[in-house]
Amino acid sequence: MTESLYKVITKEELSQFGYALRETGTIYAPVKTSKESHSFKQVDTLTEADLEYHRTMIPPKKFFISPKETIFTFNKEKEEYNETPAVNEPLVLFGVHPCDINALNLLAKVYLESFTDKYYSERRENTTIIGISCTPDEYCFCKSTGTDYAREGFELFLHDIGDRYLVRVGSLKGYNLLQKHASLFREVTEEDLSLYRQAEKKRLASFTKSLEMSGLQDMLDMSYNSPIWEEYGEKCLCCGSCNLVCPRCRCYDVQDYIDLNLNTGQRERKWYSCMLKEHGLVAGGHNFRATSAERLRNRVNCKGSLKEDMTNCVGCGRCSAYCPAGIDYVEILQKIRGDIE
Amino acid sequence: MTESNPLSPMKARITEIQQMTDIEKLIKLRFQNKTDASNFKYMPGQFIKLGVMGVGEAPISICTSQSDEPGLELCIRNAGRVTKALHNLNVGNTIWIRGPYGNGFPMEAIEGKDLLLVAGGLGIAPIRGVLQYALHHRELFGEISFLYGVRCYDLMLFKDEILDYFRHGDEKGVKLYLSYEDESDKVCYDLSCERDDRCTQGMVTKLFSMLDSKSNNSVSLIGGPPIMYKFTVRELEKMGFQPDEVYMTLERRMRCGVGQCGHCIVGTGKSIKYVCKDGPVFTLWDAMNTKGMI
Ligand SMILES: Cc1cc2nc3c(=O)[nH]c(=O)nc-3n(C[C@H](O)[C@H](O)[C@H](O)COP(=O)(O)OP(=O)(O)OC[C@H]3O[C@@H](n4cnc5c(N)ncnc54)[C@H](O)[C@@H]3O)c2cc1C
Ligand code: SF4
Ligand code: SF4
Ligand code: FES
Repeated sequence: MTESLYKVITKEELSQFGYALRETGTIYAPVKTSKESHSFKQVDTLTEADLEYHRTMIPPKKFFISPKETIFTFNKEKEEYNETPAVNEPLVLFGVHPCDINALNLLAKVYLESFTDKYYSERRENTTIIGISCTPDEYCFCKSTGTDYAREGFELFLHDIGDRYLVRVGSLKGYNLLQKHASLFREVTEEDLSLYRQAEKKRLASFTKSLEMSGLQDMLDMSYNSPIWEEYGEKCLCCGSCNLVCPRCRCYDVQDYIDLNLNTGQRERKWYSCMLKEHGLVAGGHNFRATSAERLRNRVNCKGSLKEDMTNCVGCGRCSAYCPAGIDYVEILQKIRGDIE
Repeated sequence: MTESNPLSPMKARITEIQQMTDIEKLIKLRFQNKTDASNFKYMPGQFIKLGVMGVGEAPISICTSQSDEPGLELCIRNAGRVTKALHNLNVGNTIWIRGPYGNGFPMEAIEGKDLLLVAGGLGIAPIRGVLQYALHHRELFGEISFLYGVRCYDLMLFKDEILDYFRHGDEKGVKLYLSYEDESDKVCYDLSCERDDRCTQGMVTKLFSMLDSKSNNSVSLIGGPPIMYKFTVRELEKMGFQPDEVYMTLERRMRCGVGQCGHCIVGTGKSIKYVCKDGPVFTLWDAMNTKGMI
């Protein structure tokens, strides 16, 4: 096999490719929902999508861990329960940014590593991920977290290099997809490569936000009792938005619901937030993270921790962009570092 | 737990219930399905998620050591919604189990050592499993000392067993030491008269003065409320225990038990741990490396 794993597709032909992808699965792509915001929505053609978006408010984790799902239904009298089967609809997620792909890779570790969550594994198997390059806005700092490049966790990745895309193959599934629609793609030329070099140079130069990561974990550890947590804890409304929008947040709650007949019901799992007061509460009324400062400290430390060689935060900027109290995650860490007062 | 989903429980039936105190019951149960029973292999210090359909689940320590007898024993305090529902069940009722979860105490790694077990309150549940294991494999361990602190006789758990160890433990291979907090407790007072070298009024830490000095080959395994750890650790350090010779089991809010739901998180950027998956047993060295652990 000498087939190159790099190809080129023109922007014109991309819409044809998008059209053809409907055979692969239902297509979800970033759609502009208001002046400021985007959302992954079902589309028929790529013309409905805005591929130059900065970020969706809700990250693509929603396709793998549903905000709320029934794990099983039960019948007390019959002493039995029935697991809810995973939904097997094939999906195409078109236009996923590198930060979000990296976040999904980390989520997969949580959901698949020691105990395999069948919902996550089946959904991932049934999903085709097409990544796309992006230009940072004032909240993005993925270059600092090393997550502005996706090495794996996608089928195909499109680098915008002007009137065409450089296409990277990330999986065998992606390779086969490319083979299937081979007539839409062509080989990479010297000119394409030089356009790619220029595009990368421009992209890298356009970051305005940055955070030095080296040594951060130790600085966080030594700042456990810093007044910073009180300072920001006072501003924080404990609304949990930062968790909701974070592509790496994965906390969930499990709750039982019983029907009026007091016999049948269901056990549900739903997204949960470490910024809510009950998160650390145990029997006897003791709360391990009783104050907003303690909860904020926990969240920032959790995000600032390393998962293997990657931080638990992928630098997508959502938590800062959508915090109603205007709390800037990067600013907190810059203070921890002593980079700003 | 089925292959397909870590959140799916196995069915078990309650075979016996003992009221141990006003708020604690010992519940014995047996798996309904033979393969579930034979696949269920655990170590002392591991826990299960125990559930009642329509109410929910709670993490509960397995308080026995695996033996040939089928079934599990659980000591359950009525502390909230789920545990109350568990207390309302009767013999013959169905109960749902997932697990076993967590690392448990490293019984194999500490073979050949003298054991100093320390338990306070409900912390005796996992420590009882350790003791059973050690007595079951008596030849694999050195001296076994067991310090148990109670508030008063009425709140003492596993009374018959404890009194039996108190009076006949030396023959069985365990020295039991007992402390009680309530000065007006008549039964405990009598016990302290019976053996003033083994029982005293005060906190569990008071029992340390009754111990021989630390051998150079000993470890301590402790279970109790958070406050107990601080004081116990101080005593152990005084005795010369190294941070990796002290094992303790921790409690946190837990939803999943399998490292997914995030509730049991502790630590900082340098040291994040999930108590359900990385613990619940940690060494003192782990605690020194993980802020907020104890
Ligand atoms: C590893 C491990 C081992 C354990 N082993 C044992 C054992 O062997 N035996 C034992 O008895 N216990 C054990 N526990 C403790 C046991 O898990 C808890 O007592 C149990 O989870 C309490 O659950 P519950 O539903 O009964 O209480 P809950 O009703 O959940 O109450 C817990 C606390 O949360 C509060 N609360 C609950 N719901 C809400 C709400 N909606 N809003 C605000 N506050 C709320 C309650 O006031 C209470 O303080 C163990 C815990 C762990 C982590
Ligand atoms: S979004 Fe902002 S206000 Fe809301 S919990 Fe997070 S930090 Fe606090
Ligand atoms: S912590 Fe904030 S910047 Fe980092 S991944 Fe989560 S939402 Fe994005
Ligand atoms: S209990 Fe869910 S992560 Fe530990």
